[in-house]
Amino acid sequence: MEKKDIIQSFKDSLFTGLIALALFGPIVGLRTASKGEGLFITPQWGIVFLLVGLCVLGRFLINLNSARKTEITFFSNFTSKFSAITEDKAKHFAITAILFAVVFPFLPFTDRYFMDVAIMILTYIMLGWGLNIVVGLAGLLDLGYVAFYAVGAYSYALIATTFGWSFWICLPLAGVFAGFFGILLGFPVLRLRGDYLAIVTLGFGEIIRIILINWYEVTNGPDGITGIPRPSFFGLPFKRSPDEGETSFHLFFNLEYSTMHRIIFLYYLILVLALITNYFTLKIRKLPVGRAWEALREDEIACKSLGVNPTNTKLTAFAIGAMFGGFAGSFFATRQAFISPESFTFIESAIIVAIVVLGGMGSQTGVVLASIFLIGITEMFRDLEQYRMIAFGGAMVLIMVFKPKGILANRKPTILMHGDKK
Amino acid sequence: MSNLLSVENLTMKFGGLTAIDDLSFDAKNNQITSIIGPNGAGKTTVFNCLTGFYKPTNGQMFLHKEDSKISLRKYTDFKIAYVAKVARTFQNIRLFPAMSVLENLLVAQHNELMVASGYSLFGLLDLKSYRDKEQLAVDKARYWLDIIGLTHRADDNAGDLPYGDQRKLEIVRAMCIEPRLLCLDEPAAGLNPKESAELNKLLKFIKTEKQTGILLIEHDMSVVMGISDHVVVLNYGKKIFEGTADQTKNSKEVIEAYLGVDE
Repeated sequence: MEKKDIIQSFKDSLFTGLIALALFGPIVGLRTASKGEGLFITPQWGIVFLLVGLCVLGRFLINLNSARKTEITFFSNFTSKFSAITEDKAKHFAITAILFAVVFPFLPFTDRYFMDVAIMILTYIMLGWGLNIVVGLAGLLDLGYVAFYAVGAYSYALIATTFGWSFWICLPLAGVFAGFFGILLGFPVLRLRGDYLAIVTLGFGEIIRIILINWYEVTNGPDGITGIPRPSFFGLPFKRSPDEGETSFHLFFNLEYSTMHRIIFLYYLILVLALITNYFTLKIRKLPVGRAWEALREDEIACKSLGVNPTNTKLTAFAIGAMFGGFAGSFFATRQAFISPESFTFIESAIIVAIVVLGGMGSQTGVVLASIFLIGITEMFRDLEQYRMIAFGGAMVLIMVFKPKGILANRKPTILMHGDKK
Repeated sequence: MSNLLSVENLTMKFGGLTAIDDLSFDAKNNQITSIIGPNGAGKTTVFNCLTGFYKPTNGQMFLHKEDSKISLRKYTDFKIAYVAKVARTFQNIRLFPAMSVLENLLVAQHNELMVASGYSLFGLLDLKSYRDKEQLAVDKARYWLDIIGLTHRADDNAGDLPYGDQRKLEIVRAMCIEPRLLCLDEPAAGLNPKESAELNKLLKFIKTEKQTGILLIEHDMSVVMGISDHVVVLNYGKKIFEGTADQTKNSKEVIEAYLGVDE
């Protein structure tokens, strides 16, 4: 490296330091503290200089050995190799992943915390797969997907607490209700595309949440619904001491009572629900309606000129996507046993959309990887408390920098004329 | 030769601008009818009226079936292709670029396949009746791909094809809906002479082998004069001439419209 370059990079890093000073000075440097009867400002210049120093040094090092470039090529090489592997051996990858998911609860290191995280990741995977139909296949950017999640959860909770029906009856009903709301939302937005559609769906999500807060007589408002029945293992409840004339799970199978039984059951329940979603999506993608969704995403006018009915096509996409959101919602309700409108804020929609987009639009495996990556990273940094959202944002930025089209962006044709050439 | 399409007193106004002014013409079965005219003459507007993208201010358009006739005004949007069987291509190619060539041709057979798949129910159950129908659709796609010589690229993305092949693919995709009338909006735009010649061959094949009338908007005179049976010349939304290709070439009005009048 020449002397000129070093001077240049030195100047550059000083400039970086200046920006860092302007930012960290007021944000970190001036801290308010309440002493006695008023607020006082305590300056913390030590930390500021440390941070600015780090920025200058970091920038200088980056400039100096142009490590940036090699790093980027290394990382993108790595990810493209990885996606090549998963695309080529998609089937092997899927089977390995499913096998791992099946034995996961019985692995030696699996504890209650791991199970909870796994259930959460699987819920997001299922939501991601459901939304993938709407966003990935039909190309309709839906920022209010959480609304269907909420409709599913509340229909399950209300039906189960009011009529006392079992989980297995309420689950399909919740899906049907959510699908119905999908059609309801679908109608007014039929003519909209892109940004405009996103805004309206965003509004729809908020409308549902606000109705849930204000319709006190039915939804119990912000207090939420408590005492939602837990699912039973085909009629066998997970209780330490069952009611009169009832046999509980651990008695029936002669096991020692453990709260883990229910957790493991819930885990398998969401695993099966998610796999059904996946199977259904993979299947319907190869049917005429699935191809019509993708065609609609590609060019709506061309679709019309070929006699494809865009109204029906869009509504089925909305309805089916919403239905899976509803299934996931009723699972959420039965797992938590308590729901309130707070669980269905916009950030949930944003996370689900992020999972679909980062995974690679329309890619089923991508949704899995993105869910594990995003939810897993946020969980790993739980000790950092409020700063863990930085990890979430950082993960998103990383994926977008290195894989702008998502982790797995390759699309495979739904039907081949010449068969697999490999 | 029987009449296929009759346009009667078609008028289309956009606010104060009259894009088409009292236009009447006929198109016949198994014939290529070309609509030519200088830029802004209203050619594409005629197409958009015929294919249901615009609702004309005035006038009628009839499609003749054996002994009955149906009014195209009644159909809008996707029903033009679905019910009336009028297919079209676009001035700027509108394929589904991220989908494979074969998938493009299957989307064109969407409505039949939808019924065959029992509105997805039979398809989800993987019934044999659906798989057979799907195979028929693939065979039909292969038939058309053989004709335009793209069978070997059936599994590639449509967006990756060379420009000329995309044009041909768009035409055969429209043919997959088994149209009675095929409307082509500047199919030769951007093609080199060799590709234009291939296009001529394809259009002649469709004209003679299929029960389809072709309506053609074109600027490339080698295409127009080479294959048209009938030429309609528009200028400022009015029909200024109608006749065979040879008559058109020698018509004083047409030359004036294109080149201007001597002072």
